[in-house]
Amino acid sequence: MTDVESREGVRSAALEATRRENARLFMVFRDPDVSDAERESAREALVHLHLPLVEHCARRFRNRGEPFEDLVQVGTIGLIKSVDRFDTDRGVEFSTYATPTIIGEIKRYFRDKGWAIRVPRRLQELRMQISASTAELTQSLGRSPTPREIAEAIGCSVEEIIEGLESSNAYATLSLDATDGSDEGGQSMLEAIGIDDAALEHVEIRESVKPLLESLPPREKKILLLRFFKNMTQSQIAAEIGVSQMHVSRLLTRTLEQLRASLETDD
Amino acid sequence: MITSGVGARSDVELRLPADGAYAAVLRTLTAGLAARLDFTMDDIEDLRIAVSEATAMVLDEADSGTDLVCQFRLEPGELRLECSAASESPSTPDYDSFGWQVLTTLTTDASVDAAPGHYAVRLALRSSLDQQ
Repeated sequence: MTDVESREGVRSAALEATRRENARLFMVFRDPDVSDAERESAREALVHLHLPLVEHCARRFRNRGEPFEDLVQVGTIGLIKSVDRFDTDRGVEFSTYATPTIIGEIKRYFRDKGWAIRVPRRLQELRMQISASTAELTQSLGRSPTPREIAEAIGCSVEEIIEGLESSNAYATLSLDATDGSDEGGQSMLEAIGIDDAALEHVEIRESVKPLLESLPPREKKILLLRFFKNMTQSQIAAEIGVSQMHVSRLLTRTLEQLRASLETDD
Repeated sequence: MITSGVGARSDVELRLPADGAYAAVLRTLTAGLAARLDFTMDDIEDLRIAVSEATAMVLDEADSGTDLVCQFRLEPGELRLECSAASESPSTPDYDSFGWQVLTTLTTDASVDAAPGHYAVRLALRSSLDQQ
């Protein structure tokens, strides 16, 4: 046996096992004589048995802006419905029966819940028509189509196309806290938006003030430092230096004026 | 299509409170006008973004409580828009800003008119059908 053959063998054996387990569980589930608890656990087991089918279906809808886990979740609702409704006497595979239901459930989710803002069904359908015919026309024209061309293709008015376009903007609102969804622990939109550091614009000013500060008389310099770096009040400074608060005020004002004047002449 | 006065120019004017909350109204009107001028879907999308940038620039400079005045000039295959607001002492436009880069990239023509008391951003976009 070659590698491929043996792998195929393993797979079909697994498939056969699933099929048998499925049949056994459905026997229990449909058996009118078993207890409610048994029936319930058979149902549970059936759902678990076929979960990979849901994941398979959900994977087809990845990269459409909805989290994979959510799609699995709504797909599972489809699966549960299928388990409840499946008729074993029909003679079809369970997966054949369940797949359209699961996919239907996922599609319905996209149609109804995927919208950030509720939009009337009419517009939702119009939007789908618009995007379908935009794609087609882009192909056939070799350029982006105009709303008129789309209106002609769909058979509605330009007015309605504009309305449809407006509604599509409602589909894609995005929370500032939403992550980009590409990987675990991605940055949120809010984190990704850069802002200038609050102190950035002060750097230049501080650098140009530095030499001016150096040239101040020691007492003026000290007052300035106490006021603006140690955040002391004028009265506290007055006590510290041993002059009146009024005097501190005058000295501060004069020093600041000097600094401002020399900064401006520097320019 | 707006061809009521065939060959004649059409003007549309919109006055809104100078507040970001109304920017969507301007975008919607712009898209509506462009659709009637037979702009392509891509053009309309570009125009939306350009208008957003232009309004952002004007709103930044607008005095509070004033109006945003938007004047459209519609010609076959071309849409011109001037967004202006009262601005006591507008800052000089920053032509290195990201917003300005976006605006000039998306439009066929863009300019800023900043004078004491008045700040305006003008933009023009030709339909890409018209250029072919």
